[in-house]
Amino acid sequence: MPETLPGQPVKGAFLHRFANPGRFLRLAHWLFPLLSASSGIFLTIGMIWALWFSPADWQQGDAVRIMYLHVPMAMLASGGYAALALCGVLSLVWKHPLADLAAVEIGPVGAVITGLCLVTGSLWGKPMWGAWWVWDARLTSVLVLFFLYLGHIALIQAFDDPQRGYRAAAVLAIAGVIDLPIIKFSVNWWNTLHQPDSITLTHAPTMPESMLLPLSICLTGFSLGFAALVTGRLQAAILETRAEQMLTRRARSQNGLS
Amino acid sequence: MTRKSRRLWLVLSCLACFAVASGLVLNAFSSSIVFFMAPSQILREPPAVDRVIRLGGMVVAGSLKRSLEGQTPINQFDITDGQAAIAVRYEGILPDLFREGQSVVALGTYLKGSPFSASEVLAKHDETYMPKEVADALRKSGKWDPRFGKPPSAESLDSMARHDTDAQAHR
Amino acid sequence: MSHLPYIVASYIAVLGAAGILAFQLALRLRRARTRIAALETRSARQKDTL
Repeated sequence: MPETLPGQPVKGAFLHRFANPGRFLRLAHWLFPLLSASSGIFLTIGMIWALWFSPADWQQGDAVRIMYLHVPMAMLASGGYAALALCGVLSLVWKHPLADLAAVEIGPVGAVITGLCLVTGSLWGKPMWGAWWVWDARLTSVLVLFFLYLGHIALIQAFDDPQRGYRAAAVLAIAGVIDLPIIKFSVNWWNTLHQPDSITLTHAPTMPESMLLPLSICLTGFSLGFAALVTGRLQAAILETRAEQMLTRRARSQNGLS
Repeated sequence: MTRKSRRLWLVLSCLACFAVASGLVLNAFSSSIVFFMAPSQILREPPAVDRVIRLGGMVVAGSLKRSLEGQTPINQFDITDGQAAIAVRYEGILPDLFREGQSVVALGTYLKGSPFSASEVLAKHDETYMPKEVADALRKSGKWDPRFGKPPSAESLDSMARHDTDAQAHR
Repeated sequence: MSHLPYIVASYIAVLGAAGILAFQLALRLRRARTRIAALETRSARQKDTL
């Protein structure tokens, strides 16, 4: 790689702005409480609105209130995996030092969210469709996403050398991205029991405002909560490695002394 | 080309190859990924008599007949996709969402000439959501009958409500 | 409310999982911070004795 001359704009400087763990810690110092607090506020309002003030659906009745959990979980499951794949690219291509740590921390949170998406979907499907689970394209592709998350977690821990684990997991994360468009378009490509998306970029939402508003508040709250969890976990991971480094440095200096 | 951009292109081309491969696989298996078949499809190519298939479509308005045989409820109704209709016979309790005009998926076997004998009926709800009060109001004013087709879109609901209030104001 | 058990179960599942994740994170952060603080005071004491 050619050396950049001083004064020349460094390529990818933006990416490396947060490469320094110390800088990230300073960022997280105010970002984490901010994200946590705003997530708490949005979720409190959203949950109360969803449970008591939003209208019951004309055919689903009150069971429609599960939508306010299921839809954010489904969107975050896909979004979290996209973030995981982005970390994989940053790690493989740019060797970004924080990307691997972030991938380790996003994985379990994403797996829990995907699991919740499946569980809430099941709890919604039983009273509405009449089945806990069916093997249609939408449900199956989300189950595949769940296993991709689990595989990612397992792969990172499978190697003695953490660097090799990071690399293998990054490859899996990037390859698994194929599942995201399959999940998104499964309801349009094949006929499924699962209904098509109510909220799309191309069409007006097929949902009245009285349901759309609480849904967007819940979605904002859960997204902020996801961001807060990942930021906090990354902060904890950096602090843990720092403690580890201090411990080894101390052990080395003690060995040198004796 | 720097090492970084070479790595980036490598990753992207691997991903593209993998995407094409999985696209081809999905395309090849497309017919088995489909969760259900429409009545016209089944009539065009009748499946083997003992093969369990899923039949999907809308319950024809006015076709539902319920009866009791001992303790088990017998339900008979027609499923249509707009082009053809197949009669279905199902013993058991129908799901809550089942109604005339609703999309359903029935699991069972089909023998030409006799009704589709279903062992399981699932209700499929569409992507439109509507408050109960709005639906009742629409039904009362005769703007929409759930037995015949989809509810109006969320936008048109608002304009319909506005139209109603305007009409009342003129009166 | 119709289908109450299903609604309650899904809200408990989601809020419970969120609570567990948040609690685990708080514990992890506190443990890491106390560990670093302990190491720092110990190394400072070491420097003093040297």
